[in-house]
Amino acid sequence: MSLWVDKYRPTSLGKLDFHKEQATQLKHLVQCGDFPHLLVYGPSGAGKKTRIMCLLRELYGPGVEKLRIEHQTVVAPSKKKIEINTIASNYHLEVNASDAGNQDRVVIQELIKTVAQSQQIQSSTQKNFKVVLLTEVDRLTKDAQHALRRTMEKYMATCRIILCSTSTSKVIEPIRSRCLAVRIPLPSTEEVCSVLTSVCKKEGLLLPPELAKQISEKSGRNLRKALLMCEACRVQQYPFSVDQDVPEADWEVYLRDTASAIVSQQNPQRLLEVRARLYELLIHCIPPDIIMKGLVRELLSNCDGQLKTEVAQLAAYYEHRLQLGSKAIYHLEAFTAKFMALYKKFMEDGLDAMMF
Amino acid sequence: MDIRRFFGPVSGKPVVQKPALPGNAKSTVKKKNNSASSDENEKKKKSTKIKNSKKEEHHKGGGKKRKKHAVIESDSEEELEPVIKSKATTSKTAPPPKKDPVQYVSETDSDSDNFLSLKKDSKPKQNGTAKSTKSEPEHACAESKERVKSPSQGKPGLKSLPGPTTPKSAPPPPKQTPTSVLDFFGSGTIHRSDKKLVASTKRKTPTHDLDDLISDEEMARQLQMEEVRELEKQIHEDEGFARTLAMLDAEPQAKKARKSSEEQPGLSTTPQKNRTGSVSASSSPLKTSQSSDVISPSPRNTPVTVCSKVAMMKKRDEEKKEGPTRKTSMRNKSSPIKEPKTSPTSDKITPKPEVTPTELKKSPKKLENTSPDDAEKKKLHSSAYRNYLNREGPRALGSKDIPKGAENCLEGCVFVLTGVLESMERDDAKSLIERYGGKVTGNISKKTSYLVQGRDGGVSKQEKAESLGTKILDEDGLLELIRTKPGKKSKYEITAEAESKASKTRSPPSHAEKSTPKAQKISPSKGNSRSPHTPSPSKTGQAKGHVTRTSGYGTPTGRGSGRITQKELDLPSSSASEPSPPSMKGESLLWVDKYRPRSLKAVIGQQGDQSCANKLLRWLQSWYQHHSGAGGSKPAAAKFSRFGGKDDGSGHKAALLSGPPGVGKTTTAVLVCEELGYSFVEMNASCTRSKNSLKEVVAESLNNTSIEGFYKGTSQTVSSKHVLIMDEVDGMAGNEDRGGVQELIALIKNTKIPIICMCNDRNHPKIRSLANYCFDLRFQRPRLEQIKGAMMSIAYKEGLKIPPPALNEIILASNQDVRQVIHNLSMWSAKDKVMTYDRCKSDAANAHKDMKLGPFDVCRKVFISGEETARMSLIDKSDLFFHDYSLAPLFVQENYVHVRPAAARGDMKSHLVLLSKTADSICDGDLVDRRIRSGQNWSLLPTQAIYASVIPGELMRGYMSQFPVFPSWLGKNSSTSKHSRIIQELSSHMSLKTMGSRQAVNLDYLYYLRQILLHPLQKYGAEGTGQAVQLLDDYQLIKEDVDSIMEISSWGGQPDPYSKLDSKVKAAFTRAYNREAHMTPYALQAVKKGRRGGLGDLDVGGEDADQDGPGSEDDGEGVQTDAMIKQKKSKSAKESKKEKKEDSGKGKGKGKGKGKAKN
Repeated sequence: MSLWVDKYRPTSLGKLDFHKEQATQLKHLVQCGDFPHLLVYGPSGAGKKTRIMCLLRELYGPGVEKLRIEHQTVVAPSKKKIEINTIASNYHLEVNASDAGNQDRVVIQELIKTVAQSQQIQSSTQKNFKVVLLTEVDRLTKDAQHALRRTMEKYMATCRIILCSTSTSKVIEPIRSRCLAVRIPLPSTEEVCSVLTSVCKKEGLLLPPELAKQISEKSGRNLRKALLMCEACRVQQYPFSVDQDVPEADWEVYLRDTASAIVSQQNPQRLLEVRARLYELLIHCIPPDIIMKGLVRELLSNCDGQLKTEVAQLAAYYEHRLQLGSKAIYHLEAFTAKFMALYKKFMEDGLDAMMF
Repeated sequence: MDIRRFFGPVSGKPVVQKPALPGNAKSTVKKKNNSASSDENEKKKKSTKIKNSKKEEHHKGGGKKRKKHAVIESDSEEELEPVIKSKATTSKTAPPPKKDPVQYVSETDSDSDNFLSLKKDSKPKQNGTAKSTKSEPEHACAESKERVKSPSQGKPGLKSLPGPTTPKSAPPPPKQTPTSVLDFFGSGTIHRSDKKLVASTKRKTPTHDLDDLISDEEMARQLQMEEVRELEKQIHEDEGFARTLAMLDAEPQAKKARKSSEEQPGLSTTPQKNRTGSVSASSSPLKTSQSSDVISPSPRNTPVTVCSKVAMMKKRDEEKKEGPTRKTSMRNKSSPIKEPKTSPTSDKITPKPEVTPTELKKSPKKLENTSPDDAEKKKLHSSAYRNYLNREGPRALGSKDIPKGAENCLEGCVFVLTGVLESMERDDAKSLIERYGGKVTGNISKKTSYLVQGRDGGVSKQEKAESLGTKILDEDGLLELIRTKPGKKSKYEITAEAESKASKTRSPPSHAEKSTPKAQKISPSKGNSRSPHTPSPSKTGQAKGHVTRTSGYGTPTGRGSGRITQKELDLPSSSASEPSPPSMKGESLLWVDKYRPRSLKAVIGQQGDQSCANKLLRWLQSWYQHHSGAGGSKPAAAKFSRFGGKDDGSGHKAALLSGPPGVGKTTTAVLVCEELGYSFVEMNASCTRSKNSLKEVVAESLNNTSIEGFYKGTSQTVSSKHVLIMDEVDGMAGNEDRGGVQELIALIKNTKIPIICMCNDRNHPKIRSLANYCFDLRFQRPRLEQIKGAMMSIAYKEGLKIPPPALNEIILASNQDVRQVIHNLSMWSAKDKVMTYDRCKSDAANAHKDMKLGPFDVCRKVFISGEETARMSLIDKSDLFFHDYSLAPLFVQENYVHVRPAAARGDMKSHLVLLSKTADSICDGDLVDRRIRSGQNWSLLPTQAIYASVIPGELMRGYMSQFPVFPSWLGKNSSTSKHSRIIQELSSHMSLKTMGSRQAVNLDYLYYLRQILLHPLQKYGAEGTGQAVQLLDDYQLIKEDVDSIMEISSWGGQPDPYSKLDSKVKAAFTRAYNREAHMTPYALQAVKKGRRGGLGDLDVGGEDADQDGPGSEDDGEGVQTDAMIKQKKSKSAKESKKEKKEDSGKGKGKGKGKGKAKN
């Protein structure tokens, strides 16, 4: 009994529920033989990984579904041992090089190079290249990405690389130019709804379209989240009711509370409280940019028109610096403090204007 | 001033002033009178003066036209004045009285000066100062003459109590009067220019005139009574007057009373009367002096009554004390301050007037005690404290130019600073005072001679000062004081001189040298103890007192009591054994060695009975008694005593002297040995002290006997008493001395001789093991004064002139390290034998030992406002960051929110803006930090210092409500990385199924997974376990992952829902999970264990074993169906245990070494 998300995951390009046109394009790509490096990008929950797996299946057949987790050790030049988990089938290797942190360059250099250098023996029965799937490319350091450049060209004969990331902005230009970029957008609300209802039908449940719509909106069209929510709803209460409370993840609730704490009161004590809450979020490994996004969304809903643009601009500014800096809490707190100052001033000015 | 001109003929000057006067018929007549009177005797002057005063009034009445003249003419007049005075002084032949007139001149000068300062016109003020400075040299001259004389006379009879009884400082002769009166008149006329007061004086004048005509004592008394009455009437009108009166009454009163008591009745009345006349003429701004004069004629009764009344009024004033009147009152206060100088010898001589001030003191106190409500007071205090915290710096920094005063002019004065001065930082003011020999203390006591008050001064200090009769100055007053006070020689110089004289007369120089510190010691203390009795310690008088006292003390000690004084010295007291002073052979020696103490008593700061030196001495003395006989059995018994009285350290076979460098540990140890006649073997860090060499060298030497006695011929027996001195034990380190400390401990355990160990840091881990076997003696830094005395004597012997306050700076800069002080002195004196205060201060600042601040102090210093940080330069501020550049930004970030910035002034809006700006700057710092760390751009560190520490500090500077908090970032960061590790593990376990990245697992899966996992357990209890286990299997999760999930998904410290489950259900779940083997696509514990084992952490293995313990308890009977995982675990645990055993089985030292290496 696995979760619905994984239970009803499509396994071939033909079975995909949305972006069907793209699926057929990918099919053609495989069929015409000259398979390029791919850069698959799109927001999380859009089905990147699913699509890649479908593509691999299209390439190699069902053999790619026999996966194994391998534990590899790479020795850095500084004699430091780096351990990394890889997922591999006979035809491909999946690596999340960013797990190695700052040493990801070594992983790229050593691990991928060795895989890429080795020839396929039975080239007659299969494709004559292996596929290396690199996930979370946007979290790779610049050094690692540069290390990837030459490898991608040099071993073109024996290896194809599929890069998977949420955004291309963190991928350096030379890499992008070497790849065929495939964008996988989020499914539309209707598509999410249709997926939800079809899944429920398979489970033998009846999902009211209103609830489906509500779920899809709440999930932000993240299909993974929508399915998980739907299952949580099912666990919570069945039969579904139309105005059912859709359970949200803890961190989202916490983040929203934090934002409302900022809006409700502006003083140093509150800033300290907010700092503690931000720390709590960071401890739970919520990425700082997501925290920032969540904060801004909540804060903006409490702002007037003029203030809105200002806050949005501020958020962008601090988010950028957050990427440049190393300690996320500093920047989140600076944003909070700035907002507090701005909001306080705005409110008091408004109050004065009302008085006179 | 016209009147002064009339008196011109006294000094033989022609009267030039005529044209200045308007056509007043009377004036010419009176002028004649005056000229005549000047030639006459003083007794006759009486009448003329009265007339003068009368005439003066008329002049005043004459109109405001003359005002201009008055102001302008004052210049020329003052130029003349000094000449007159000097002539007056030189013409007269009798030496002792000569001094006094001069002083009186200066007195009146300062008086007029004050009155001038009352006016806002700055010009006359300058005039006043010019005048006073001119008069000062003379003053100083006379004084110095006096001083030179007095020691040379060397009165032997004065031994007992100097000062008061000396005929030298005895009553001022009658001659003083003419000049003083003259000057009074002069000052009076200057004052007439004040417009406001004309009316009031006019009211008064007629009565005075009438009174003055009758020159009788009774009439004088009557007049006084009238004045008192009038005074009472006026009181209600003039508060400032009352206040000044209160300030004054102690001083002038004393003066006058003394005069009246000592002088002949006829004489005494005359000046007084004259004064009253003059005062009445000179109108209300002179009220201060007026009041004093009023009191003077009746020495016994009236002062007290007046005083009490005055005190009452003062009290009332205090209660009323309100903002607007403050300023004026301050100004008024400043005037009396000058008064003390005017009564130079008086305070000492007459004991009587001192009674009245004490009575005065009592009355206000009583009143104060009863009136204020306690709660109100508290409120007041708290608000005052809040004000203090938000207090600003000086408003007009550097607006006034600092006057140059005579050298050491403030010596003997004790100052207390309160409030914010207008143009100076407090530190500046302090160094200014210290430069001129004054002393600045924190609290007011009887010894305090001045309270320098600034804006927002402490109320309690003010009250106390008033109750103690301390004079209150404002900043101008302080500057004025420096400007006007006569300089004099430092007491140290004086003693040095006395010394040199003594050394000339007496042949052995060592004796004279010895006498110096004694004299030093005594004279300051005497001076201080005396001054409180007289509310205003008069400069000249005190100085004179010093002269006589020091000479009085210096000679007898020089004669006979050399032995006693040895105690105080840090110089060769070896006069008995080594008659030749060290100066002959000491040329090539460092000063430190040259002046090394030669006896135990001479060690600085070790004289006390309970001092470390004496303890060591006693311990060493009794060592052989305790340890020689019984050998094995006794120490055990002694060990018990350690808990009870460990004072004598008899249970220990070794002593450990610990303390900062330069306090004399080694010297003490060596001297103690010498004192007891023990021979010693010293081993210091220059010797190899490894285990083996210690064994060889020391063990051998410990069994030796010394033949030193034979060699010297002093004793016939071989001495068997030696001591091993292990110097610099904390230096036993590194490869050379490996095992040295252990060996030393072993040595101590079965030594036959006492061992003295020395180290700097007692709490060093290396030393701590040693300290258990040692008698612990901790050396403290000697106090400033202790060092100072010894240093002064060295300086004298080296012919070095150094002002005592400068020496203070040097000593403080070296952090009371005696050795370094001497070195510094030696170095700086190589340039120049005479050292000024300023140079010393800058040199001392250069030599200032860098002190490492802890991060908490750094953080406090970054944000806090106040004296210690107000004068920091940008470099200083950024240096704060460099105390620990990795921690400092974290501390700043953690604590900036706790600071209440002064710039916001309590306004929340600007506070928030400041917070935001600070946060921005901290962010900038973080960006720089990233650059530094990622690209090794360490040259950017100063930039980071500015962003991460200096700018936040500047923006938020204010008041910190709490102690700096340790940065939570460190803890949060480590828990973040821990959680991220857990998530990575979880996601790798689930990766085959989820296909999601780590982030997706964390953000999306975990919460819902937990819900769905727990739902059956919550709903069906034990029946739901199967479902849950099924889910786990599907996602290839193991039981441990459940705990991880629960840990990671608990928020805000709330317990996770799993822990809320019934324990039975939990147990059932565990059992259900363990019932069957679970296949996982990834390698399980074996690999992980291996990995951990590969890291080779033995402790981790042990922990695992521990963790397994409670786990298996939980499992209960589930063990019987245990699958391979469980077994594996226990097996591995056992293995690790075994390993441990093996390790521990090996040699202790080696095992440890290996373990560490592995780590």
